[in-house]
Amino acid sequence: MALELTLAETVINAQAYADGDRVDAAFRRIRTEAPLDVAELEGFDPFWVVSRHADIKDIERQPDLFHNGDRSTFMSSRENEAKVKALTGGDPNLIRSLVSLDGQEHKDLRGILFPHLTPRAIRPLEEQVRKIAREFVDHMLAKGSECDFAMDVAFLYPLRVIMTVLGVPQEDEPFMLKLTQELFSNADPELNRSGKEQTPEEILKSLWETTMELEAYFGAVTKRFRENPSTEVNSLIANAKVNGEYLNHRQIMGYYIIAATAGHDTTSNTTAGAMWALAERPELLGQMQADPSLISAFVEESIRWVVPVKHFMRSAVADCEIGGKRIAAGDWLMLCYQSGNRDETVFDTPFDFRLDRGTNPQIAFGYGVHVCLGQHLARMEMRILWEELFTRLKSVELAGTPSRTISNFVCGPKHVPIRFTAQ
Amino acid sequence: MGTSSRRWRCRSCGYIYDEALGLPEQDIAPGTRFEDVPEEAFYCPDCGTEKQDFELMDY
Repeated sequence: MALELTLAETVINAQAYADGDRVDAAFRRIRTEAPLDVAELEGFDPFWVVSRHADIKDIERQPDLFHNGDRSTFMSSRENEAKVKALTGGDPNLIRSLVSLDGQEHKDLRGILFPHLTPRAIRPLEEQVRKIAREFVDHMLAKGSECDFAMDVAFLYPLRVIMTVLGVPQEDEPFMLKLTQELFSNADPELNRSGKEQTPEEILKSLWETTMELEAYFGAVTKRFRENPSTEVNSLIANAKVNGEYLNHRQIMGYYIIAATAGHDTTSNTTAGAMWALAERPELLGQMQADPSLISAFVEESIRWVVPVKHFMRSAVADCEIGGKRIAAGDWLMLCYQSGNRDETVFDTPFDFRLDRGTNPQIAFGYGVHVCLGQHLARMEMRILWEELFTRLKSVELAGTPSRTISNFVCGPKHVPIRFTAQ
Repeated sequence: MGTSSRRWRCRSCGYIYDEALGLPEQDIAPGTRFEDVPEEAFYCPDCGTEKQDFELMDY
């Protein structure tokens, strides 16, 4: 039996994610009534909605059985997927990045940056990141008593950190932020390329134009770093070789683009959402000031809470069984991280924001060999920002109604108006 | 190692350290008990997570 139509429509509806409660209510029903079922929507190939934490992990731990790149890695209509294939010469993904690679190619490319992003490897960056965090805390406090924390801090601080790590000059940061928002927020007129609501066809055209603009920018980066190699991440990408060869055009562009976009947008969304949660629960500030060791729990719970990547798609390579259901070779599956992180069988009171979860098994970074490459840097960035801010903050509360980006893919709060007093 | 070999799972990505297999790519020989894996050198080969974030699996 297919998933109830209204539920199927909701899990791909960008506005439902902006509403928040609407998508959470749909997933709550799905987990109870049809935790693993097929959605059949006009214009889309049928897809399994994977709502349970355990099923998502089960699929992600079997990358040879469930591929990322055989189909579109994020939800796409049948028509758009066909157009992307025509544009790319057969690849169902416009950008060939780590999230859409499989097997040895994925292992080879992930291995280029992996040694540079382990907890041990990033530890020496801590002082540099702390200096950046202090600058943004100064910037926030200089605003007086109110700011839009999303726009004034959360979008900018992770951007500065990642661009510093990549080796992108500060003057290029607004350009990178704009193109990132165009890429991930294409359904949101406030942030997309055209500034208006777009048809699926217009969205694809915008994505293509944004991708071409990014490729033009990074073409010059390759040239610069091959002439003058450095230790910065973009130089590592530019000069990386697999089996004695530089990465091909689509591989190298995909690598730059994912590092320069997903590398900050996910952290920005989580940082903005964490402040939203804090402003609604001001008592948490005093608890963390009294016991700063709680800040790590605050970071982990904010990642569970915000879930900046709402879904990824997988396709089955062979017939198999997941969660008691028969999955056929070629089936398409939507891994719904927002639902997994609210799974009542894993999280007590999942709709409460809590610092006492102990080991927090949130799966917002994914699981298995595709788990987020930048997860350790993201955690470090957020921990340091809160450590620096909380020592200087006396109080914080909402100063208006926050709002989320309209998107069903990578998104989170876009406005978080707060009122605060400094110590 | 026989039946005393245990398995430890990375909480972040699910990679399993099997004491019977060790982790030769990090110079950890087959048969090395997890307690004897050097904390300062070991990390999850799939995601980089450090030793303290591994959990003992049921066995």
